[in-house]
Amino acid sequence: MSAALLTRPRADWRGGTVLMALLAPILLVNVLTFLAPVINLAMLSFRGSGPGGSIQEGLTTATWTSLLTDSFYWEILLGTVWTSLLITFLTLLCSYPVALWVSRLGARWRNLMMVVCISPLLVSAVVRTYGWMILLGDQGFVPGVIRAMGMTPPRLLFNETGVIIGLTEILMPYMILSLLAGFGKLDRTLEDAAGTLGARPFTVFRRIVLPLSLPGLLLGCLLTFVLAVSSFITPKLLGGGRVVLLATEIYDQAIVTLNWPLASALSILVLVVFGAALAVYGQLSKLVD
Amino acid sequence: MAIARAPHAAGEAPRDAAPAAGLNSVHLTLEALEKRYGNLPPSVSALSLQLRQGELLGLLGPSGCGKTTTLRMISGLVPVTAGRILVAGRDVTALPPYRRDMGVVFQAYALFPHMTVAENVAFGLEMRKVSRTEAKERVMRALGMVRLEALADRKPRELSGGQQQRVALARALVIEPSILLLDEPLSNLDAKLRDEMRNEIRDIQQRLGITAVFVTHDQVEAMAICDRIGVMRAGRLEQIATPLEMYERPTTPFVADFVGRMNHLRGTRLEGGGVRVGEAVLATAGTSPAGEALLLMVRPHRIQMTPAATAQPEAAGRNVQPGTVRRVTFVGDALHYEVAMGAETMLVESSTVSGPQSFAVGDAVFLAWSPDDTLTFPAGTEA
Repeated sequence: MSAALLTRPRADWRGGTVLMALLAPILLVNVLTFLAPVINLAMLSFRGSGPGGSIQEGLTTATWTSLLTDSFYWEILLGTVWTSLLITFLTLLCSYPVALWVSRLGARWRNLMMVVCISPLLVSAVVRTYGWMILLGDQGFVPGVIRAMGMTPPRLLFNETGVIIGLTEILMPYMILSLLAGFGKLDRTLEDAAGTLGARPFTVFRRIVLPLSLPGLLLGCLLTFVLAVSSFITPKLLGGGRVVLLATEIYDQAIVTLNWPLASALSILVLVVFGAALAVYGQLSKLVD
Repeated sequence: MAIARAPHAAGEAPRDAAPAAGLNSVHLTLEALEKRYGNLPPSVSALSLQLRQGELLGLLGPSGCGKTTTLRMISGLVPVTAGRILVAGRDVTALPPYRRDMGVVFQAYALFPHMTVAENVAFGLEMRKVSRTEAKERVMRALGMVRLEALADRKPRELSGGQQQRVALARALVIEPSILLLDEPLSNLDAKLRDEMRNEIRDIQQRLGITAVFVTHDQVEAMAICDRIGVMRAGRLEQIATPLEMYERPTTPFVADFVGRMNHLRGTRLEGGGVRVGEAVLATAGTSPAGEALLLMVRPHRIQMTPAATAQPEAAGRNVQPGTVRRVTFVGDALHYEVAMGAETMLVESSTVSGPQSFAVGDAVFLAWSPDDTLTFPAGTEA
């Protein structure tokens, strides 16, 4: 805070132009590679689609009208948000203890375990998804274990369960990284202080550790949610075409049906979902602070 | 030095008096406390001491001497390797921190950043299931004690260091702990605030009559407010005594050096009591076998300096030695002289107010001091 006050006069004096000059390249890249394509995409959603994937001249709201009035798309939207929220919650549940444990290790072990935690990112999500297909398939490892325990395994592949299991594991490294960033600020003496004031270990967790890790937790949830909404390879493969989410539908419309205006409109819908997620994140962050 | 009683403490039991057995009951007992980490040499070993109810003990020592580890063992944050901790006769060695009922003030305050000042102070009461109305009243009383009622609804980050420190103190005291533990509570404050806060801590400790242990590496701080001081070195308690006794009669050269500046002289005991140091023969208070190699220590401000032009000061029994001023350093409230005395260099400290005159480099002088101010230790004990 005080640092910002100290540096501001200098920035006003001459830093303004320097700052702009330094920002210009990234601004340019963003305009060219993000803003322009998004505007193009939005424009495309207002064009008509003809047979064989042709795009008609002239603007029309037909795509949007059918999109917003057809309950099929509303179901996909709600289904996607719900599944992604569930995946986010499960990812958080699986990642929090791991991140907490890693953050408490000594410096050397912590660095090693951090590498271990994020090492799945070194393997492509496609490869990991195929791995899950082998593990979850009817003759796979997981149903085998369940059978060995004398129970009938439920279907784990080519349905929503498979998608949720796969995406939860695939998104865990992002959640763990976000949580670790938040835990970094957690001072162990705060827990000591709470202990000497009479708080039992679980109370210390509930009243001190959890509230102070909320910023990292929220960030991790936002990141995981956004990635869950936008992932399509894993749902496509583990869902076996039976699980329809926004991202897989966009893929089908763009690549299979060749209805680019509809794919564009659905993409804009995904952006709206992201916008809403960001807004919720912003509000919650303010509450936490 | 800081042995003079702070004015605020006037009227209270004289803390310079040696602890009178039976006057106050023993409240905290440490019995042969030891802490080891792995195969390393023990961080703390063979530490035994007793604190009376209402006594303020300073644990003093250089960093890494084990004083903070000792404090953390008392609070239960660090498990002991061996030994016992008794509070009012009850063995608490095996109890976790949350069942020990001790108030701890941490070096970096450790205030909960997501709670207001009032919530921070109320935390301990909440854990003790004190009713909301009573808790509110006690929180305000505790904040009143440290004069921070007006800031009850602020977050810790909006407070200055001194204010945070007072919140930490209020939070530790509001639970009316059986023992107050302070871990270098003043080291993050600036010099002026530090003096203020240490007096405030002493005032409150006296008013509540609470038994307290105060860890510090600053001897002035410890001398100023503690009833007794324990000097620690490499995990062991070197000496435990009142500030005055510690300053005047340190039992080891380490303690002597730690609680104030010292001149070091090396000599050999002669037949008949004197000690030969270079050419000179000095008188000392103690006695030891002739021929023993000795380390002599004299406090710089106990040496009186007079110009050699005037007659040699006639003082029966005093050590009087000629010397030459080599360096003068003005430090505000005192003048530090380095005086060549034979082959030795003596540091002499004189007050700028009461000093009869000041000396310049090259002046020939006489140094005079009492044998009582000449501490003797067997050579080799200072390592």
